Amino acid sequence: MTGQGAGQRVLVAGMGSELGSLVAVKLEAESWVGALVGIDADPPRRRLRKAEFHLLAPSQRERIVDVVTAFNPHVLINLSVWEPDARASLRDARAFTADATVAIIGAAAECPALEAVVIRSGIEVYGRGRGTRTRPDESAPIQPTSEFGKMLANVEQQSAVLAGRTGLAIGTLRLAPVLGKHVPSPLGRLLRQPIVPYSALADSPFAVVEDGDAANAFVTAAARRLNEPVNVVAHGAITTLQAALRGRRIPLPLLGPGWGLAGRLSQILGAPIPDHVVEVMHRGRLADGSRAIEVLGSAPASSTSEVIDHLYAWESVVRIGNIREAVA
Amino acid sequence: MALYAVDDYGRDPHLIAALSPLARLRWNVHVAGAENIPAGAALLVCNSRRFSLSAVYAGLALTDATGRPVRFVGRPDTAPVGALMRRVGALLAHPADVLGALRGGELVLISAAGTSHPRQAGAVPHELVGQAVVAQVPALPVTTISNRFGRTAYVEVGAPVNLRRERNGPLAHVELAEQVQHHLQRMLDVSREV
Repeated sequence: MTGQGAGQRVLVAGMGSELGSLVAVKLEAESWVGALVGIDADPPRRRLRKAEFHLLAPSQRERIVDVVTAFNPHVLINLSVWEPDARASLRDARAFTADATVAIIGAAAECPALEAVVIRSGIEVYGRGRGTRTRPDESAPIQPTSEFGKMLANVEQQSAVLAGRTGLAIGTLRLAPVLGKHVPSPLGRLLRQPIVPYSALADSPFAVVEDGDAANAFVTAAARRLNEPVNVVAHGAITTLQAALRGRRIPLPLLGPGWGLAGRLSQILGAPIPDHVVEVMHRGRLADGSRAIEVLGSAPASSTSEVIDHLYAWESVVRIGNIREAVA
Repeated sequence: MALYAVDDYGRDPHLIAALSPLARLRWNVHVAGAENIPAGAALLVCNSRRFSLSAVYAGLALTDATGRPVRFVGRPDTAPVGALMRRVGALLAHPADVLGALRGGELVLISAAGTSHPRQAGAVPHELVGQAVVAQVPALPVTTISNRFGRTAYVEVGAPVNLRRERNGPLAHVELAEQVQHHLQRMLDVSREV
């Protein structure tokens, strides 16, 4: 797959997340990866056999720089992005992402062996202002209209500065909302509630991507030294009402003021609705993923409808005994 | 479960299937020249008489004739009208939206400026037609003739319009738009009465 020599050093920032640990598992199986190091504020969610992990908070900039520069990777994969209301509140997510970006990108600039950086971004960077394209491709302007979109745009901007100074290959994967078993997603959480609110006037379509497909894209992008932005989007689309009906949930049509009340109620019930998810419901979120097929060689295996079906097929209660049997 | 999904652009084939009988109640559309439509992407340009909804019935009729979704251009970007039009296959009247669909291999239908006379082709928007040049796909004229108070309507697809001379810059967009308008007018001049 790669054309890269064996024994490459790969560093994954954000290895503790669901997506990060999935990427790490897949990297461990790659023949071109010689050494694998990960850093994150949370421990990995999967058993890793080869990877060396460092538990570091985003604010520990000096320690992060020490770890990254001492390892001196050939490839750096930056997944240190906190989606608001996924693992952290908006305020914390904004601070963690900003701190981690400065530390990781700053450290990358000090690594003489570094050849390529792959960063996690999202199609939220295109924004959903009036008149924005129905399915933006990678050439569409970056005009985020949500907090998460602005955070991701900042990560992209800092990476572009790094590329300008060092000439490194910077591959940017703009992911559709990532759903998957155990992925802490505010959109996924909302869709799994017994009653699912949707916009009565718009009910706009959106696309998603499954975590396994997103992880495959990161591994391929790292192996191929991707040097451009690419949308990673499952084909097809779905609206909130359609998703609720597929999952046999009770759809709740809402108009303007109803969203405020529904948002507060949903937060109390444990599924806060951040602004980028509200934007999905009102304005939709689609993107053209055809470039990914050209440069990464494959499209996401699961369609948007299939990802939504998988979302509703997850167990509500996971029996510990079953996990032990599966592990054994 | 396939009932609850839309395509990559938000078009809902099941909603269209549900609305088609209503459209057939309003229009009895005869289609000619559908064989001129290529297997890949193409930009279709139809004439438009004011308030005739010609792009809508032409789009639905050509979808039936080709078995492929024909995406017409001109939805507003506001709910609920824009959201509903997106579900029946409409795109924004934005060059980038048209270009994206053409590059995706789609059939895109745009309207010339509306006129008060049914046999007059209005100005063709060169910003939108020019996207056929950018995407390197053919542009085809489509005449639409209907009776305001009757059901019968005709939709005829002409042969692809070729630029008379090679152009490197934006002149190609303007000249293609003029030629498409010219072809539309010639087709309307010889088309039948309704």
